[in-house]
Amino acid sequence: MKLFYAAPSPFVRKVLISAMELGIADRIERIDAATTPMAPDAALAVANPLAKLPALMTDEGEALYDSSVICEYLATEHGGSALLPASGPERWTALRLQSLADGMLDAAVLRRYEVAMRPEEHRSKEWDDGQRLKVARALDVLDRDAASLGDSPTLGTIAVACALGYLDFRFASEDWRANHPNLARWHEANWAARPSFMATKPPA
Amino acid sequence: MKLHHSPRSPYVRKVRVAAHELGLHDRLELIEATVQNVIEQVSPDNPLGQIPTLVLDDGTALYDSPVIVDFLDTLHDAPPLIPRAGPERWRALGQQALGDAMMDQAIAIYSDPARKLGEPLSSMTRRRTDRLERCLDTLETNLDELGGATTIGLISVGCALGYLDFRLKPDFWRPGRAALAAWADRFAERPSMRSTPHLPAE
Repeated sequence: MKLFYAAPSPFVRKVLISAMELGIADRIERIDAATTPMAPDAALAVANPLAKLPALMTDEGEALYDSSVICEYLATEHGGSALLPASGPERWTALRLQSLADGMLDAAVLRRYEVAMRPEEHRSKEWDDGQRLKVARALDVLDRDAASLGDSPTLGTIAVACALGYLDFRFASEDWRANHPNLARWHEANWAARPSFMATKPPA
Repeated sequence: MKLHHSPRSPYVRKVRVAAHELGLHDRLELIEATVQNVIEQVSPDNPLGQIPTLVLDDGTALYDSPVIVDFLDTLHDAPPLIPRAGPERWRALGQQALGDAMMDQAIAIYSDPARKLGEPLSSMTRRRTDRLERCLDTLETNLDELGGATTIGLISVGCALGYLDFRLKPDFWRPGRAALAAWADRFAERPSMRSTPHLPAE
């Protein structure tokens, strides 16, 4: 399988951690889309005309995106019912948690782009506050429910770990741990030293 | 089940169309959210404050829209909107990702304040417009991808095109794409689409 990506991306990290936890990381060839344009790949261009990244080309020639579809594909087709149960309440818990974490990432990544791309005088504080508060509300809920997150990886907890990792990477000064001690303890106990998490740390 | 909704959201429409196709629509109690109250109304159930959000009778909240559709697909005996296994499953989910991404681009383009003020569009909006155009061209050229059984992929693309008509107007995308426009019109004739039209704000 080929994974097209543009590093460093927390959404790519989600896919890589999922692959490692499933024991299939060596079956995925990573291709940096910045140096290898996707356009020559006809199947990928048809299925992914918006050139969304990450995108996965399966061994059967299917082109998949976005990261949640890719993770579900890897979990379903490569024996990961622990990562994503086929049915029942645990399935919806994992998927909802992934949605929550992806929503945090969307907001955090957008804030990052604003700072990186728009001159200060053109930025909207109101907009930035809105995105920041979205992440804050999500962190509050995760902290409140930290006891239920559990110690084994699911698509949901992998996504949460990646979201917290991204906040550490790009918004360290906002110190999410300060007001979210339960979540901080959960992260420390289950993810900080996990090989898949450490192996996919963004470059400093 | 309660659905936090707006008649202006293409993602909500996708969920409602899916529910209609599955004969589940009368199990959805629609709770309308406006731009002004959406965070206050929805964030107790979904901290992201986003619609659609489905709330089950036991208080469990489900989001985002692909997760809601995945769940609804377990509540019936009709042919699934998301094939249960195999390449067809991934094709349907990938096509949903495409339709949803088109909705993302359309919303961002529509939201550019310069559009309403008649000012020159930002370079970001121009880039998004180019990407959406490429997407539409690809759909037009590969219309066979929109044939076959009705899956969530087709529903998402159908709703994306309906949203383009609603917010960016038919002239934005229909000229030069007669086959895709004809497909969109045929899809819009489905009872599920006819009973879930977009409504402008009062």
